[in-house]
Amino acid sequence: MTSAQAAVEVATDVAPSPSATGRAWHLLITPAIIVVAGVALVIGVNAADPNVSERRSLEAPFVLKLLGQHLNLTAVSTVIVLAVAIPLGVMLTRKGARLAAPAVLGVANIGQGAPAIGVIVILAVVLPTVAPFWVAILALSVYSVLPALRNTMVGLQQVDPALVEAGRGIGMSAMRTLLRVELPLATPIMLAGIRTTLVLNVGVAALASFIGAGGLGEMISAGVKLQQNIVLITGSVLIALLALSIDWLGALAERYLRPKGV
Amino acid sequence: MSFWDYVTSRWDLLLFETYQHASMVFQCVLLATVIGLAVAVATYRTSWLANLATGTASVIFTIPSFAMFGLMIPVFGLGVVPSVVALTLYALLPIIRNCIVGLSGVDPAMVDAARGMGMSRAMVLARVELPLAWPVILTGVRVSTMLTMGVAAIAAYVSGPGLGDEIFSGLARLGGANALNAALAGTLGIILLALLFDAAYILIGRLTTSRGLRV
Repeated sequence: MTSAQAAVEVATDVAPSPSATGRAWHLLITPAIIVVAGVALVIGVNAADPNVSERRSLEAPFVLKLLGQHLNLTAVSTVIVLAVAIPLGVMLTRKGARLAAPAVLGVANIGQGAPAIGVIVILAVVLPTVAPFWVAILALSVYSVLPALRNTMVGLQQVDPALVEAGRGIGMSAMRTLLRVELPLATPIMLAGIRTTLVLNVGVAALASFIGAGGLGEMISAGVKLQQNIVLITGSVLIALLALSIDWLGALAERYLRPKGV
Repeated sequence: MSFWDYVTSRWDLLLFETYQHASMVFQCVLLATVIGLAVAVATYRTSWLANLATGTASVIFTIPSFAMFGLMIPVFGLGVVPSVVALTLYALLPIIRNCIVGLSGVDPAMVDAARGMGMSRAMVLARVELPLAWPVILTGVRVSTMLTMGVAAIAAYVSGPGLGDEIFSGLARLGGANALNAALAGTLGIILLALLFDAAYILIGRLTTSRGLRV
């Protein structure tokens, strides 16, 4: 692959999305879709007139419990991933480790092809004594640490070396250059990476129900098992809306948390 | 039973599932490439249309795969059809995005020159713009293949074909013999396929990139 191609791959893969940089009203499109789909779901469920057992699976307290589990899985795994990926990404882009960087990026690219469900099942088999929640957290973290690491490294690598040089030239220490120059300049791409990690984790957390760790995926499995299409559709739509909402919050963060002047 | 024994004792079945997996991913990506290219060619010259196409594809892409497969069941039932539809929808985003980025990144002076030589719009597209955008488009197809490869494992849940069957049979036997072997065979098989496809794309890139663009 030529370097120009690599740049394009990176640019189209991890660059901040238009909603983060474009006009402000672009940010209103996603909430509009979410509201419309949410209203359609409520109307649809009521119109379909669910029977007693379907009603039980659609009760608000039960759904809210699953939603809580889902959010918990997503939040905990995202925090772990960021705590691992950001320091590791910083280390791998320092001078001493630059040789390892292409290898890590290559593995991260192939890692996209690994099936999340496979990682979850393997860990569940290998760790039968660990609570399902933590097995799921481990699987989510293992699965999404590579993309997060890649974004941190790409973000830091695209910082103009002349600016780092200038930082050192005006007498900043390496640490200060990292904190005051490199990290702020890498923030937009890193925020895009955090957003990707969150959305990825919401999606993979839907698979946690397979090993008994709860989450909204339970509604899909139950719907398929009991042939209750209403429950199945409600679960699917709720997961989709959750992912879209979190993606939207990520877009807000990308837009408003980036350092001024970048 | 060791992992190796497991693999050799089921070699034929595993080979068949691997073939099914590869063939499903290949066909879905091919379908997505045709659709994606058509959408990109139709929209890249009008910026709001291009944004609409990319935006729609990215909303679809944001929907988690399990939910997407779930939504397919009431519409298409179980089997191959829901798997293919869900995977193709997934594969669209990287392809549409890279096609639009690639096509709109072509130097307008080149297009002008081609028009000046008397080429028609269609000819400019076929002879100038697409060849110049091809490396970027191919990268999109490659990214899309990697993503589809992993997501395709979930197809087994809607009774679709492929190596996901191994993973789900490992899940069904959780705690029993061969659970680990089945899950490992499915997961490693998919990663192996991803590597093979990646190598194939590098080769295809070499062979199909216009000679003037090669560095």
